Amino acid sequence: MVLDPAHGGTDPGARGTGGIRESEVVLEFAAQVKTALESLGFQVMTTRQGNENPSFDDRSSIANAQRGAIFVTLHVASTGLPGTVRVYVMSDLSASSDASGLIPWDRAQAPFLPLSRRFGDFVQGFLAQRFKGSPNMAQVAAVRQLRTTAAPAIAVEVSSVSVDDRGQLDRMAPGVADAIARGASAFRPSYVVATNPGERP
Amino acid sequence: MLRWRWWLVGMLVIAVIIAAGYFPVLKRHLRLSAQTPAKSEEQVRRELTQPSNASTGGPVGTAKLYWSSGAHDGSLMPVTVDLPLSRDPVVRAKQVLNTLLVGPVDVELRTLPPDAVLLAFYLLPDGTGVADFSEALATATPSGIESEEMAVQSILKTLEANVPQIRWLKILVHGQEVDTLAGHLDLTRTFLVNARAVAMPARPAAATAAADESPKPALKSAPAAAGSATVKSPSPAAKKPAAVPAQKLTPTTPPGKLTPPERKP
Repeated sequence: MVLDPAHGGTDPGARGTGGIRESEVVLEFAAQVKTALESLGFQVMTTRQGNENPSFDDRSSIANAQRGAIFVTLHVASTGLPGTVRVYVMSDLSASSDASGLIPWDRAQAPFLPLSRRFGDFVQGFLAQRFKGSPNMAQVAAVRQLRTTAAPAIAVEVSSVSVDDRGQLDRMAPGVADAIARGASAFRPSYVVATNPGERP
Repeated sequence: MLRWRWWLVGMLVIAVIIAAGYFPVLKRHLRLSAQTPAKSEEQVRRELTQPSNASTGGPVGTAKLYWSSGAHDGSLMPVTVDLPLSRDPVVRAKQVLNTLLVGPVDVELRTLPPDAVLLAFYLLPDGTGVADFSEALATATPSGIESEEMAVQSILKTLEANVPQIRWLKILVHGQEVDTLAGHLDLTRTFLVNARAVAMPARPAAATAAADESPKPALKSAPAAAGSATVKSPSPAAKKPAAVPAQKLTPTTPPGKLTPPERKP
């Protein structure tokens, strides 16, 4: 599992009037998601550990370098009903390769879209059970971070930085972590990765 | 000679009397203009760039504009507005987008920032519209996937509903392609507006997906990191959105290599 706490460094992401910064909240969320995943036996990597801001491509590179990785990018919205969580998967991309069979980096997500949708629906289903008002199925959006990720990949967005007290968001973290871990666990049996390069499953 | 001088003095006296009479009027004008609030740079630009409705010559029609539904779930709601819509697709697109930017009566239902301005709109022969917005679109749209998606969808749906000639849309900010709208939503792509756009030549089949990616040249050398990846290179089967099988899922293509990311200067 590759966890991506979005933004960081000079990019604070969404900012609330009460001084809440998305880049800080997602770091805390990532720590809790990591613990929940590890308790279910997943090996977890994060794209940043502190207040850095790797590029979109650098974050994708971490997942793209792994065999059988699953990618989750974590966000906090500026808008939306506070206390709800939405999962996004990449909107359709035209998959293509050149004569040499190389996948263009900027459309790396294309072959993984059906898997991403399935994984996203699992996680969104668990989130909807816990956070009332959240949708039941993953939604589709052209999320930049997902486009260059060559793995089943979802974006999880919590609402929102507009809450008065950061404690409201922090209290959501265990539920979000549990839903992502359960979603990954439910998705894992259906994600079969070829063991040898060139081998068709 | 003496008579000529008297005429001159008389004329000067009359001029002084007229000036004295005009002075209070001038003073009132100055006072009124001082009370008028100064226009911001964005307001002046908006007035200059907004097409005059009177000049379109089109009959008053009903435009369907998409603003927030107010449900706080990212959904949009169509609102009908009477506009003197032009028959020219470019002018018409400018009209509806400018009205969308002005916003609804309830400012809470806005989808685009109030300071954003449509700088230009072009329509290419293949049905691709190019909308160039001012920098405020990127700097003042609330950061987040939901808010950015809502902003873009309001533009796409409004164009789809009112300008049937537009098939795709490319969004520029101040004449430039940008990576994201406000940190999340990908603006390097060309968005599908209307797959059934009228009188436009067809594009390659791969581009007729729900949203089309702007093609970029693939780089030939794979990075070392990608070499060990479980990445599958796409097969023809992967080019169409495939139904998800009930049980075992796997990328449908054999592991391949990724081209390295395109480094922008």
